[in-house]
Amino acid sequence: MITYLDVLKQIHLGPICSEKDFDLKIFAPELQKVLKEHEIRFDPRNPISNDDGLADDVWKAAMDFYCDVGTYCLDTERIVKFDENDIALTLKTAPSEFTFGEGKQRKTLTQRKPEDRTPPWCFLGAGGAAVSSEENLLSLVEGYAAIPVIDSLTSPALTAVDGVRIAGGSPMEIYGAIRAVGLARQALLRGGKPGLPIMNCISTASSAIATIAASQPQFGLRPSDGWLCGTIAEMKVDYGVLSKGAYLLSWGANVGSETAPVLGGYAGGPEGTALVNTAYSILGTVIQKASYQLSFPMHFRFGCNTDRNTIWTISLSSQAITRNSTLPLFMLGYLASGPMTEMVLYETAAWVIAATASGAHIEAEGVCKATHIDHFTPIEPAFAAEVAYAAAGIKRSFANELVNTLLSKYEEKIKNPPVGMKYQECCNLKTGKPSEDYIRLYSRVKRELEDLGLQFKY
Amino acid sequence: MKRSLLSQKKEILDRLRAAVVAGDENLVREIVKEAIEKDVEPLEAIESGLIPAIREVGEKFEKMELFLTDMMMAAEAMKAGMNLLLPKIPKEKIPRRGTVVAGTVKGDIHEIGKNVLAALLVAGGFDVHDLGSDVPASQFVKKAEEVGADIIAASALMTTTLPGQKDILDYLKAVAKRSEHLVLVGGGPTTAEWAEEIGADGYGETAMDGVKIALRKMEEKAKMSAL
Amino acid sequence: MRSSLDVSKRALTGQICSERDFDQKIFALRLAEALKKCDIRYDSEVLIPEDDGMADDLFRAAMGFYASVGTYCLDTERIIRFDESEIKEGLRVAPSEAVFGEGLDAGVFRPRRPESKEFPWCFIGAGGAPVSSEEVFLSLMQGYGMIALADAITTPELTQIDGVPIRVNTPLEIYGAIRNAVLARDALRSIGRPGLPIMNALATAASDTALIAALHPLYGLRPSDGYFVATMAELKTNFELMNKASVLTALGARIGTLAGCVMGGYCGGPEGTALTVAAHHAHGTLVNQATYHLNHPAHMRYVANSSPELLWIISMYAQAISRNTHLLSLSLNYTCAGPGTDMALYEIAAQVITAVVSGVSIEAVGLAKAVHIDHLSPIEPKFAAEVAHAAVGMKRTDANEIVKNLVKRYVDTIANPPIGKKYQALFDMKTGRPSKECLESYGRVKKELEDLGLTFEW
Repeated sequence: MITYLDVLKQIHLGPICSEKDFDLKIFAPELQKVLKEHEIRFDPRNPISNDDGLADDVWKAAMDFYCDVGTYCLDTERIVKFDENDIALTLKTAPSEFTFGEGKQRKTLTQRKPEDRTPPWCFLGAGGAAVSSEENLLSLVEGYAAIPVIDSLTSPALTAVDGVRIAGGSPMEIYGAIRAVGLARQALLRGGKPGLPIMNCISTASSAIATIAASQPQFGLRPSDGWLCGTIAEMKVDYGVLSKGAYLLSWGANVGSETAPVLGGYAGGPEGTALVNTAYSILGTVIQKASYQLSFPMHFRFGCNTDRNTIWTISLSSQAITRNSTLPLFMLGYLASGPMTEMVLYETAAWVIAATASGAHIEAEGVCKATHIDHFTPIEPAFAAEVAYAAAGIKRSFANELVNTLLSKYEEKIKNPPVGMKYQECCNLKTGKPSEDYIRLYSRVKRELEDLGLQFKY
Repeated sequence: MKRSLLSQKKEILDRLRAAVVAGDENLVREIVKEAIEKDVEPLEAIESGLIPAIREVGEKFEKMELFLTDMMMAAEAMKAGMNLLLPKIPKEKIPRRGTVVAGTVKGDIHEIGKNVLAALLVAGGFDVHDLGSDVPASQFVKKAEEVGADIIAASALMTTTLPGQKDILDYLKAVAKRSEHLVLVGGGPTTAEWAEEIGADGYGETAMDGVKIALRKMEEKAKMSAL
Repeated sequence: MRSSLDVSKRALTGQICSERDFDQKIFALRLAEALKKCDIRYDSEVLIPEDDGMADDLFRAAMGFYASVGTYCLDTERIIRFDESEIKEGLRVAPSEAVFGEGLDAGVFRPRRPESKEFPWCFIGAGGAPVSSEEVFLSLMQGYGMIALADAITTPELTQIDGVPIRVNTPLEIYGAIRNAVLARDALRSIGRPGLPIMNALATAASDTALIAALHPLYGLRPSDGYFVATMAELKTNFELMNKASVLTALGARIGTLAGCVMGGYCGGPEGTALTVAAHHAHGTLVNQATYHLNHPAHMRYVANSSPELLWIISMYAQAISRNTHLLSLSLNYTCAGPGTDMALYEIAAQVITAVVSGVSIEAVGLAKAVHIDHLSPIEPKFAAEVAHAAVGMKRTDANEIVKNLVKRYVDTIANPPIGKKYQALFDMKTGRPSKECLESYGRVKKELEDLGLTFEW
């Protein structure tokens, strides 16, 4: 079995290669070769594939691809590669059951399968998007805590401390991360869910030093929380990524491998992106020793993953991974539009149905591409959870129909989506309650989905 | 007339040396311009003005009569003069001991030792390209290729950054350029045993040792080329 | 009192200046001005001056110098400045005593004065020197822990993990730092001194990431230990150092600020170096939020601080600081010669007598400049502590004669010192007993010191 120390040795011993050569002479040609060999084809009419054989082909292709290409270390300019048998053994023996949270909010995470009746794990909140003030963070997190079926929190990120902007790698980032952790924990306590795990630790910290600093238990995070460690597009790591892992794994933290292949980037089109997304789950297990895989393939031009091509990628890679491994998998949706628009609810429904029917759990969600400060509310993740529960157990063919219908309602607007309103404009900051208009909008869209045949559990 | 031209030239060169020793960049530029106007040969201005001055500074630094700031300022002043004079000299006549790419290895931000070495190398007549600190192996090699460096001088000040020196040798081998550049290592925890272990061409315990080794290696290289 | 957040803000908003301009146009020029205004002169015959006026002059000049120069932040390329009243306030409210350690091994570190009868704080051990293996690390730590006069321990630095060399700013450094903490605590526990503080946390962690990673309570470091934050030469800091200070302050840890001013470097000669070391106390207090100050001025060529000029520098800054503040200041000595040599003992005696009689405490000892792997032993730190205790209460004039006598014994070999032997060759690693040769050298030099007038209680 490949250990973390093996990985840390290999980043200094693997073959030397410039980044440019890795991207253009190794990654890209190998991807094309493998896609051709396995005949993987995107069908735009069916964003949710019903073809088990295709899903299994994607997995096999991803294994071949990963074994040949490896992982690139930017700091050492070397490729980390392991023997195929060692990789297979590591995947086979990877733990498949993990516990998060404390007390009443303690729960076990395991993998789902396509068309699984078990509802997905609802990892709900801001998707790491940024808020303008500590007041907003507190209010939002309390709002998330109030969602009945929330299993874990994805906390917002602070952008400034005492009026001074946070810059990565600087002491301000450390202060910001420590403060954000404390505030989130406080808000969960006030929201009546003190044991709820935060599973996107630490959204305010991008650098290793800030992540590690704010992870000290004195500041509020616990072994029953979860830490997201990102890779770099595509199939790359650096000292920062690996340092976070070294620290977290040393005391037994749950690491989530966070990956975002770019559709239209080095991964190419939908087929390549689906394959690379699948390969990332192998990288996440072998290199990062992750407990959970968290993926959000992104469209190069639209900056979201609710377009037809990317939904197909999400669905197919989810099926490939969950049919062929025991790894718990999350998909994270990034929506083009913002709060208080019907489009945001259609987009939410589309990607959540796709992910749920394809075997994934859900992290919901990055509203308005998670780039507009304060443009997100608790309504969107709450709605996502309701849709997820409703979609658990539906056939992929039915999910495909639903998603096609939903796409027809918004896909033309993806290029120029409505950014909607800020949290404080459509919700009451003090009570966390949405405006009457938003409640009406949400109720109307929910009825539309019911008319399409989706049966809401609550 | 001849004597007065000669004495005028001597006076200019004396002032030029004094300006370099004083570390006065602006004054050096002024005097060099004056020297050019008054037909002092550019090569002579370098060999009898700038170089002896920087050597003097180097010797005083060795004796601790001058210190690092003085030496760095003198080196900058000399460079300022060289930048004005070099374009006026045919390439084949330019007095140069060799070209060096110097830097502190990746992960290490200590610069004083490397700065001393760079300044002493300039004083020794080398053309020095200083990459600063925290320099990845590939950057050392790329720069060395770009400027046709004879020597790569890599400094490491911590035990935990020593491997960065080995990385440069590994990188040179990987791109099949090992034989094209000499690699000298130095800095606090570097030892002769370490240099031998990693296959470096030389090791300097002090910056002055580094310069002596650089000079010796260049002489050896010249002899080899002659053969 | 200045908070570390305030320091960060100043680093982000202070006067913009290139590093070169800071060094040459601000630091060097203002140092020259400060020296002109005060009447301090190095005299090779008087290495331990008895001139209180000169010491006070130096102090005043140093504080004025620091007020005019400030601290340079390399990452923001700005100057962090404090005015004279802030410097005065900072020095006034800085800790004037500190408890380190736990239980029976707890002690109170207090400030001293020249010729004081107060025993110095003996912070002894490896001086952060490197070792080749965990076995050597453990054995040395047990040896240090058994020194009766040890108030605190300085651990060695690990150089490899499971045979893989440790590199700074990499995940391996994190592993190394964690292991440094765990092994150090285990070693002290094993010889019955579990509460003895480690005050150079952490030798194996140069980077902020590694230090902070190893602070997790699981690994054994405690609030009653001491944590190093260095300074870049001269009077410079960067985000990495500020990050350390920020996190340590947030955790309520006691910070030791390190200043290794280089004689022959930007500080110029002995007078400029003494002034710069004194000025670093203001920097350490205000920028690094330090509780204690470790000073190890270095010789540009010889590195160690046992040459006559360096001894004078030690004496001058020690008197300046101890006469005019209540700061907890220590002299950290580095020898040219290595373990098992008479020369190392002479150097230590000279350095320690100078420091103690001039009013500061000691950290001992970085043998053979602390660069040769495994060139350490417990004999020399033990010797240092015994000399320190013996020197208590001595007059400066008497100390001066002893020190000059000692210097004569080694000054000619400073340029080419014997590096001594490795620990494994000098001690039985299993029993911790020194070799006969080692004991003889120690006994002989101690006798010579007694003949010179030193009275050993231990």
